[in-house]
Amino acid sequence: MAEPPPGPWGSAPPAAPGTGPWAPAADSAAPAAVAIGAADFLAAQRANRRRTILLLAVLTLIAAGIGYLVGWYLDVGSQPDTGAVSAGGVLVAFGLGAVSIVWSSISLAWGGRMVLAMTGGYEASKETEQQLFNVVEEMSIASGQPMPRVFIIEDEAMNAFATGTSSRNAAIGVTRGLLNGLNREELQGVIGHEMGHIANLDMRYMTVVGVTVGLIALVSDMILRFMNWGTGRSRDRSGGSGGTAAILLVVLVVVALLAPLAAKLVQFAVSRQREYLADATSVQFTRNAAGLISALRKLTAAAQPFSGVSRATQHLFIVNPLHQFGAKASALMATHPATEDRIARLQALGR
Amino acid sequence: MGTGGWIVLGIVAVVVIWVIATYNGLVSRRNQSQNAWSQIDVQLKRRHDLIPNLVQVVKDAMSYEQETLKAVVEARNRAVAANGPAEASAAEAALSAATGKLFALMENYPTLKANDNVMQLQEELTTTENKISFARQFYNDSVMGLNNVVQSFPGNLIAGRFGFTTGQFFDVPETEKAVPQVKLR
Repeated sequence: MAEPPPGPWGSAPPAAPGTGPWAPAADSAAPAAVAIGAADFLAAQRANRRRTILLLAVLTLIAAGIGYLVGWYLDVGSQPDTGAVSAGGVLVAFGLGAVSIVWSSISLAWGGRMVLAMTGGYEASKETEQQLFNVVEEMSIASGQPMPRVFIIEDEAMNAFATGTSSRNAAIGVTRGLLNGLNREELQGVIGHEMGHIANLDMRYMTVVGVTVGLIALVSDMILRFMNWGTGRSRDRSGGSGGTAAILLVVLVVVALLAPLAAKLVQFAVSRQREYLADATSVQFTRNAAGLISALRKLTAAAQPFSGVSRATQHLFIVNPLHQFGAKASALMATHPATEDRIARLQALGR
Repeated sequence: MGTGGWIVLGIVAVVVIWVIATYNGLVSRRNQSQNAWSQIDVQLKRRHDLIPNLVQVVKDAMSYEQETLKAVVEARNRAVAANGPAEASAAEAALSAATGKLFALMENYPTLKANDNVMQLQEELTTTENKISFARQFYNDSVMGLNNVVQSFPGNLIAGRFGFTTGQFFDVPETEKAVPQVKLR
């Protein structure tokens, strides 16, 4: 190693604790309104990540299960029913997995640009948006991520979003209403939340989940269409496999009707977990839960529909841009948790 | 090759992959810590550059506060000239206290507070102070991540073998934690 930078690694003698060429933090500049132990938000993040993995496992099981059933059904007609694992089922299940991976890769390669175009934002410059730029820079330093591009949406609604399939092509967008309505500390909390989405790679998560949910819907749809003429053919089948085929047919129809709904519910649940995770990550960056809490209160109070949003992009925003958010939002079909729940969890972090 | 051979080969492959992954993880964590460290320096330098501009802009309006302005300039010059970690730490703490006092006094000058130039400089100084503390925070988080791997089993086996050492945390000195005393007229 070449002569190391003045850091406490390698051959450099370790500095005594509390001595180093770092600057003092001005208490007035970075208010730590709530003292937060590192363990709190790290524990919250671990819990959110665990739940995400569990939900992704459920989603994978649904997709694999429906694939297996289809393959098994196709198998039954051509082979004697031995009661063993259906080779065709395994084949179709893995085939669906492969399609999902390819489709996800294509979506990820094309996805990032889409959102910005859809929301009608323009890129901001440091000269005109000094404070916003500074706050984004602060959060990029706090997160150790590269500086994202910053976009403004001229809309009176108060909202913000993050996009980008990796930290290198990430972008953060905020509405004019948000800039006008929040103070510096609150803006920091919101940008911290968006930076959290980028650092946690939520765009990737939601793309993969969206593709899998879409695939399940597609396969289910195909099954239901196939049934219209497939039922007639199955009567012609000979031998003992006919009984199995008939039972399988009923199971397939039930699964094809329920699986898309179940997958959709899992998708919403993943989205809500990622929101909680981004909140906890924001507190990790700012070490200040009060700013984000106050911002969430203002955003909810001012909630008004935001024109530049569709169902496809709603999960990207800090508060759901399409719906009013009351207690009902903890319902299963919401991309975002109820703001009250988010605030309650943030307050638990600050305790 | 028999089944036993394949099992041995499999175990060896897993161990080799684990060693490579752990080693690369340690390298990236150490680099992250070093990069975070240099970020602190960047922001300190920036603060030193900004302060003369602010003093220049406010000195006419604040003609009754020459003492405070002089204290800020002197504290800044001491911080620039500081040698070694201990000295720099103390000098930067004193600089923070001095600028904090200046900001508090500026509250008494409505014309200054409304001045675009002053507002911009104040925002720049605020963000620089924030960036310094966020850079330090990220540095500490990075060091914690590095130390967790270096010290815990089985990462410590790799770390010890390849000479990875724990990083040093940067605690805020006691002098910094004290709120600057401001006497308002």
